Order: sequence, then C-alpha cells, then structure tokens
Amino acid sequence: MAKIGVFVCHCGENIAAKVDCTKLVAAMEGHPGVAIAHEYKYFCSEPGQESIKKAVTEHGLTGVIVAACSPRMHEATFRTACAEAGLNPYLCEIANIREQCSWVHNDGEQATQKAIEITRSLVEKVKRNNELQPIEVPVTKRALVIGGGIAGIQAALDIANAGGEVVLVEREASLGGHMAQLSETFPTLDCSQCIMTPRMVEAARHPKIKLLTYSEIEKVEGYIGNFNVTIRQKARYVDMNLCTGCGECILKCPAKKITGEFDCGLANRTAIYTPFAQAVPNKPVIDSDNCIYFKNGKCKACQRICPTGAINFEMEDELVELEIGAIVVATGFQVQNTALYGEYGYGRYPDVLTGLQFERLASASGPTGGKIQRPSDGKEPETVVFIQCAGSRDPSKGIAYCSKICCMYTAKHAMLYAHKNHDGNTRIFYMDIRAAGKGYDEFTRRAIEEDGAGYVRGRVSKLWEENGKLMVRGADTLLGRPVEVAADMVVLATAMVPQPDSKELGKTLGIGYDEYGFFNEAHLKLRPVETATAGIFLAGTCQSPKDIPDSVAQASACASKVLALFSREKLEREPIIATNNEATCSGCWGCVLACPYNAIEKKDLTDRAGNLIRRVASVNAGLCQGCGTCVTFCRSNSIDLAGFTEKQIFAAVMGL
Amino acid sequence: MSIQQQYRSRAKELLQDGSVKMVIGYGEGTTATRRRPIFITNPDDTDRLVLDAACKTNLAGYLLREGLLADQKSVAIFLSPSGVRTINILASESQLSSAQVVVLGFQIQGDTVKALEGTKASDFSPLIAKRKEKRKAQPSHEMTRKLEQMTPAERFAFWEGEFSRCIKCYACRAACPMCWCRRCVVDNNQPQWVNTSSHTLGNLEWNLVRAFHLAGRCVECGNCSEACPVNIPLHLLNRRMTEEVLTAFDHYPGADEHQEPVLASFRKDDPETFIL
Ligand SMILES: Cc1cc2nc3c(=O)[nH]c(=O)nc-3n(C[C@H](O)[C@H](O)[C@H](O)COP(=O)(O)OP(=O)(O)OC[C@H]3O[C@@H](n4cnc5c(N)ncnc54)[C@H](O)[C@@H]3O)c2cc1C
Ligand code: SF4
Ligand code: SF4
Ligand code: SF4
Ligand code: SF4
Repeated sequence: MAKIGVFVCHCGENIAAKVDCTKLVAAMEGHPGVAIAHEYKYFCSEPGQESIKKAVTEHGLTGVIVAACSPRMHEATFRTACAEAGLNPYLCEIANIREQCSWVHNDGEQATQKAIEITRSLVEKVKRNNELQPIEVPVTKRALVIGGGIAGIQAALDIANAGGEVVLVEREASLGGHMAQLSETFPTLDCSQCIMTPRMVEAARHPKIKLLTYSEIEKVEGYIGNFNVTIRQKARYVDMNLCTGCGECILKCPAKKITGEFDCGLANRTAIYTPFAQAVPNKPVIDSDNCIYFKNGKCKACQRICPTGAINFEMEDELVELEIGAIVVATGFQVQNTALYGEYGYGRYPDVLTGLQFERLASASGPTGGKIQRPSDGKEPETVVFIQCAGSRDPSKGIAYCSKICCMYTAKHAMLYAHKNHDGNTRIFYMDIRAAGKGYDEFTRRAIEEDGAGYVRGRVSKLWEENGKLMVRGADTLLGRPVEVAADMVVLATAMVPQPDSKELGKTLGIGYDEYGFFNEAHLKLRPVETATAGIFLAGTCQSPKDIPDSVAQASACASKVLALFSREKLEREPIIATNNEATCSGCWGCVLACPYNAIEKKDLTDRAGNLIRRVASVNAGLCQGCGTCVTFCRSNSIDLAGFTEKQIFAAVMGL
Repeated sequence: MSIQQQYRSRAKELLQDGSVKMVIGYGEGTTATRRRPIFITNPDDTDRLVLDAACKTNLAGYLLREGLLADQKSVAIFLSPSGVRTINILASESQLSSAQVVVLGFQIQGDTVKALEGTKASDFSPLIAKRKEKRKAQPSHEMTRKLEQMTPAERFAFWEGEFSRCIKCYACRAACPMCWCRRCVVDNNQPQWVNTSSHTLGNLEWNLVRAFHLAGRCVECGNCSEACPVNIPLHLLNRRMTEEVLTAFDHYPGADEHQEPVLASFRKDDPETFIL
C-alpha cells in the first residue's frame, strides 16, 4: 500500500497569497494513498526539511510530494533530505505550484483548484515511481578551449597551470584575437601587444597545452566528462615541423595585393603570410584562395626559396579526434562594418573608418607605424569626428543592445589622437557616456578635461564630402540646435556583433544562443559562465559584449568550473535513462537516428543455435542522457524512460 | 500485345528463370471494379493476373508478411509510383531490403494503364522527383481548403462527426503498408493511452494517433480510406500532413531509400518557427 506524504509549502507569501494551502492540504488528505499532508511556511528551511525527514521515518512513507517551487530550484534539496531519512531520493517528486500556478494566476480560487490538480497528478505519478540508483561515469581530464583570443588564452593558462591538460583550438593562423589588433588599452593605456604577446607565447610553450591553430571544430559528441570531439586542422601548406619562420617565402611571394585582414583592409599582404609580426606560431600559411599556384597552376616561388623545404602544396585538411572532459567556448566577436548606416558613408569614403581600423592606425605595429594619417592621402587629419553607437542601441537597425566598450574606446581614441596631433580637434557625437568600471569614469573625464575631447550630445543625420572635407551634420540636443563639422576623418564606433557562424557552432556544440547569436548562459545572474549543456562553459565576448577585464575574469571563472569538474574521479549521473522493449521493437532505427547522443545501438536477437531472428534497438546506459527524444519518436511506444515511464506519465495525466 | 498480356509474360519469365520466388499482383475481384491481391508462385498461374484501371490498391504492405523475405529470395510485385515510394520508405525504415524487390511498375491514367520502365525501386527515382515537383505545385484540394477555412470549433465538430462512425475495426491500419509495428500503440494496454471502445474520445485518439504516425511517411495511396467500412475520409488528414512536411521540410516521403525519417532527423537549416 502506498503511503504518500504531501508537504505544501507557502514559500512565504509567494504561494500562500494566491493558493489556499489549507484547502490544498485538506484535498490531499482525502486522496487515496496519501498518509499525511502538512503545510509549512518554508519547507526548504532547516526545520522544514527536518519535519519532512521526521515524517518519512515516523510514518514509513513510500513516497514524498513537496508542493512548492520549480523542481529546478529545490528538487535536489528535498531528494537529499529524503535520502537522509532513508527513502530512495527518486521516490520524492516536486509539484510546482509556484512558477506554474501562484505566480501566474490572479484568481485565488482557480489557482487553488489548479494547485490541487497539479499536486494530485504528482501523487498519482509518485505511486508508480521506482527506486533508482545513480550511475557513475569517469571524467576525461582534458579541456578543449575554442578560440585563442585573450579569453581563450586566459582560460587555457589557468587550467594548464593547475595541472589540467588543455587543447586550445584557434581557427586563424595565429593566436591573439582582437586584442592583438588593439593599440593601447583603456583605462590604463598600456600597449595591448606588450601585455598580450607574453600570454600568447606562454600558452604556446606550455607543456600542458596542445595548440591547434588554423583549426576548427567539426563534430562534438558525448556529454560532460566524456565528449568526443573531431577537429579539422586546415591545410596550411607549410610543414610546421620544418619551417623555421625565416620569412623568405613571404618576401618572394608575387601575389602582394591581397587585402590584409589583420590591418582591417588598411594594408595589403601576400598569399603566403603570417598575420602579424608577433604571430604565435610565427610560421606562415598559404591562403589558397589567393595563391597564384592554386589559381592557375604556376608559381611555387615560395617553395623554391624555402631553405628547409617546408612548403607542401599537396597538404590536405586533417581530422583529429580527441576525448575531452570539458569545453570552454571563447570564440569572441566581430565588429560590424557593413553598410548598416548608409548615411555615414562607410565603404564609400576612404576616410570613414571603424574603431578597429583606427586602432590599427594608432598602433605602433600598424600600417603607418602608429602615425594617425588619412588612408586617402596620408595627411594628418586636423579634425576627427567620432560617432558613437553606430549600430548599437538602435532597434530599428536590428541591434537593441549596448556594445558596452565603444564609449570607452572612443574616449581612448580621442586621447591617443590628442597625444599624437597636439593641434588637432576632436568631436564626439554620443547618446550617453557609459563609463561604469574601475577607473573608467576617471578615464573619460581625463579625455575631456586634459585632452580636450569635444563631446556633442546628439546623433549624426548626414555625412557627405565637400572640398576634400567630410561634412558631418548632426544635432546638439543639449543646446537644441543643429551642428555641422568639417572633418578630415570620421571614426564609427560600430557595434560589437557575434561571429557570423556562431549559431552554426552553437548547433554543433548543442548550446543555445540569443536572437543575435551570442551564446546563452544557464542563468544570467547565478550561472553566467555555464551553458545549459553540462560541461560546456562560456568565456569572453562570445557571450555578450565585454572589455578585456571582464573577458579575462570570465575566462578564469570558466577555468575554476573546469578544474572543479576535473577534481573528481567520477561523476554521478542521474539514473534517468531509456530502456527498450525488445519484444515490441520493430528495428526501424528511428530512435537510433533521433538520439542526439548516439546512445542507441543495434542488437541481434538470436535463437539458441545462434541464428539471427531479428535485430532490435538497445540503449547504451553509459551514453544515454535521458533526454527522452527516442521515447517520443518510437511509434509503438517500445522505449521507456526510467523516472518518467509511460505508466507514470499516464497516471500523472489521468490525475489531472 | 495488351499491357496486361505484357506484364503476365514478364511475371511468367521471372518465375520461370527463378529470379523471383513469388509474384504479388492483382486478380479478379468480387465485382468488375474491385481487384484482389493474388500471390503467384507457379509460372502457369500468371494468366490469372489482371492489370487494368481498377488496380488501385497499394500492394507493398504484403511484402512485410512475417518470414516472406527472410530467405533472402526476391519477390516481384505490381506497383504504381506511390507503391514504389512505399518500398523506399520500408527500406529506409529497415523493414525490407529493396534488393529483394522486383518492381513491375505501372501507372493509371484515367481509364488506361501505362507501363513504367524499370525493375529496381531506384530506377523510378527520376519519375518520383518529377512527381514531387508536381505535388508541390498542386493546389490544395478543395476539401482541405474548406477545412482550413473553418474555425477550430467547426473543424473539431466536422471531425467529431466523421470519427463518431468509427467502429475501431483497424482496417485502416491493416491496409496501410506503413503500419508495420510489431505492436501497435493502441494494443498497448500498460498504460492504455488510446481508449479501445468506440466513443468520441477513443475514436478521436485513435484516428489522430494514426494520422500523426504517418506524418512524413504517407504516400497518399488511399488504402486507408478505401478500407474504411464507414467511409471516413482519412486521407484528408494525411494529405494535410503531407503538405505540411513538404512545405516545412521539403520532404516528399519515399523519394529514395536513403531518405531519413523527417521527424527523427535534423538539419541545421530546419525551420524553427514553432519555437517561441
Ligand atoms: C575598436 C576596439 C577597441 C577596444 N579597445 C579596448 C580597450 O582599450 N580595453 C579593453 O579592455 N577592451 C577593448 N576592446 C575590447 C576587446 O577587444 C575585447 O574585450 C577582447 O578582445 C575580447 O576577447 P575574446 O577572447 O572574447 O574575443 P576575440 O578577441 O574576438 O577572440 C576570439 C578568438 O576566437 C577565434 N575563433 C572565433 N571563432 C572560432 C571558431 N569557430 N573556432 C576556433 N576559433 C575561433 C577568433 O579567431 C579569435 O582569435 C576593444 C574592442 C574594439 C572593437
Ligand atoms: S523507434 Fe521503436 S520500433 Fe523503431 S527501432 Fe526504436 S524502439 Fe524499435
Ligand atoms: S533518452 Fe533516448 S534519445 Fe535520449 S539519450 Fe537516451 S537513448 Fe538517446
Ligand atoms: S498506428 Fe502507429 S503504432 Fe499503430 S501500427 Fe500504425 S504506425 Fe504503428
Ligand atoms: S478503418 Fe475506419 S472504422 Fe476502422 S478503425 Fe479505421 S477509421 Fe475506424
């Protein structure tokens, strides 16, 4: 005979204000199989839990229902309490009468009726629950870090320094990401490359870090502690073992007019190239789309000059398969440089630049050696106009969010310009100055007070060319009048956007992303580095716009999550797994195909002599994640999920 | 030579030279407009075969009789294009091996029957691809449109009325070549998801379950409606499903034998409009 205990929680006022808990208790008391029903202000509190434990032992309960908040909040709490009282934790279920009832209804009477039905439904389910034992799985102590920008490098170093093995995958030919492109960094104005390159070198040299540049993720299978990852190492056409990085080939390459990505189109590169002087690894790669040999079969100038014979035009992509325990995604961002704002003339006027291009102009390693000059004629600009929020915070253009860093880097740009061109003028069109961060407001004040940054509050409506000047017309909303500036250069603080392929990667990894393509965290406030997929974590700007300090902090947080996982020999997994009824399975393999974890195998059924009778599906308990996809797919209902069996679900539905 | 004569001699040859152990075809029925399936193993019996515009039933389901194909020997079978698509589906769902099926393909056009070239199911792929395009261009059937225009309440009332006649004989299931489950979900009484008695709820449950189970699999052969003793227009439900998977997933059931079941497979560019 079932002896179910029902514990109705008031959750302070959260539930009790809408649901008549006394009525709910009374309704449950009369329900078949219910031995006791109690109410209490906070069952999750210490005394609340104690009273459940006491009831379990005193009444010899065979099942427990806690009618309270979502199981995502306290299922673990109450199951542990039951286990402590000697009841198998899987005989405890949560009836969600808060999120799914009291919070979403106004009418108290109806809410009470609904709470009764929800609870009754769970009572019917728990009567059919079975005792389950957790499953133990091993943990592969090797982390995969995707993306070699500052966030990825930081996460990799933190994990490796604690003794964990790391595979760091970067899709470009060098580590570095955007930080390698920056000139000096707010709020301290230290040279970006000076603080970045030592990290890049450290990551590349670290005995615990296996660095795979020019590589991408091809396939991810498995689950926390036991991922199986296939990585595509793209053909570099340069043998990394033979190449000494002398750079002779680069000098010889006749294809010289290729737009350089690293300098954001402000300088050209050759077809065989290293992205920048401090690249790590500092070994070239052939861009086969632009290589003359790949285009028309003749050239090989680089191969002839190479003293070590490192160049191999026959090289092909290689697939590397790795066992991985945890994944850190640190794939960063892109700056938007489309023609989103036609009125700002980007792409039409050579002296209208993005902020990132300005970084390259201001950088000592940039195409002008750090001199701020106009791309059109090489002249030093006398007046520079900066336009903030060029794309961000403009729902009509499709980007409602704030890119967070542009206020700061625009102030920085105005400063760098003032430091280099003492007589120059700056005008910054802005909506607000957002400078929340340690030393940030001080920084923007310095730009205004010491470096004469000329802030104009308002938006620019039009930009055109007249007598060699870029005419900028906007409104000064503080003075309430239009302004017109004749500028020599215009810098657009274009929005920070996700990588164009981030949604693809999200699907490959099985993690969520928002409408823009930034990856979703499990909980914005309480679990900002985890994804909803166990064992996959987020670092840096792939999650949301961030500056360097925030990216680094999140990367270190990821490392601590990974290390916490690696500190355990085995993981306990919920025993919620599928089983197949071989007698009714028709062997259609629909479930095999549907299972996202490849957990279903084909099994031969043979007679005593070993002759094949037929083949049926068979679930591998080690791989099954209990998602239930196969259950919904199987037309003949041949698969059942422990903890959510057909009988349990049916009883729960009929209990409504 | 009439097409019937032509196919009789092809069937005879196949049996005589041992390339097939059986021919599944049509024979005389109880009336002039009804044909019944016949199963011929003796070459001398092939003149019992009939091929005319009344040969409408999709025979493919007979291939799944337990043990028929277990000896790895081949069987020849009369199939219209929707029958060939059935073979592709059954092969893709691992219920048979298409290598064991010799197709005697034909197409009914009005009152006449046209011979179709080919012997393997895959020989008909170009023809099926053309039919897919035609199906896409085909305007919704008048009745489908009418149903579409009804309010949900009207539509519910329409189906409630239709289904109220259902006597749960499961003839539709027996006639459908795609209903090959070893144990149909309605025969599962632990728990009894689908009510077996013939009342409104049970009837609705059964007919909707059946329709859903054919989403992305129905070849619109018409066997179910044809079998139903109380003339429920079952094909209307299936037709709606067919149009849905065709527009949403560009899926034409049975296009070839490597096609993956639309509800169990996943493409990165699948529309996700249903996710709010
Ligand atoms: C103009 C400008 C000026 C800035 N100035 C400052 C400043 O002064 N101070 C400051 O604190 N911040 C500044 N920032 C912000 C700073 O650049 C970022 O916070 C930081 O670079 C983010 O690092 P990240 O590692 O998250 O991303 P990224 O630097 O973008 O690195 C991501 C890396 O992942 C790689 N990757 C992407 N996709 C894949 C894939 N699928 N597989 C493998 N690898 C992949 C990329 O190639 C890249 O190397 C500035 C930004 C801009 C645009
Ligand atoms: S879907 Fe069902 S019938 Fe098909 S193989 Fe899987 S368990 Fe068997
Ligand atoms: S529940 Fe089914 S589909 Fe989900 S992981 Fe397990 S076997 Fe695969
Ligand atoms: S109705 Fe569904 S479960 Fe029943 S035989 Fe047909 S496909 Fe199988
Ligand atoms: S054939 Fe008709 S009457 Fe029989 S079960 Fe199917 S729908 Fe009902």
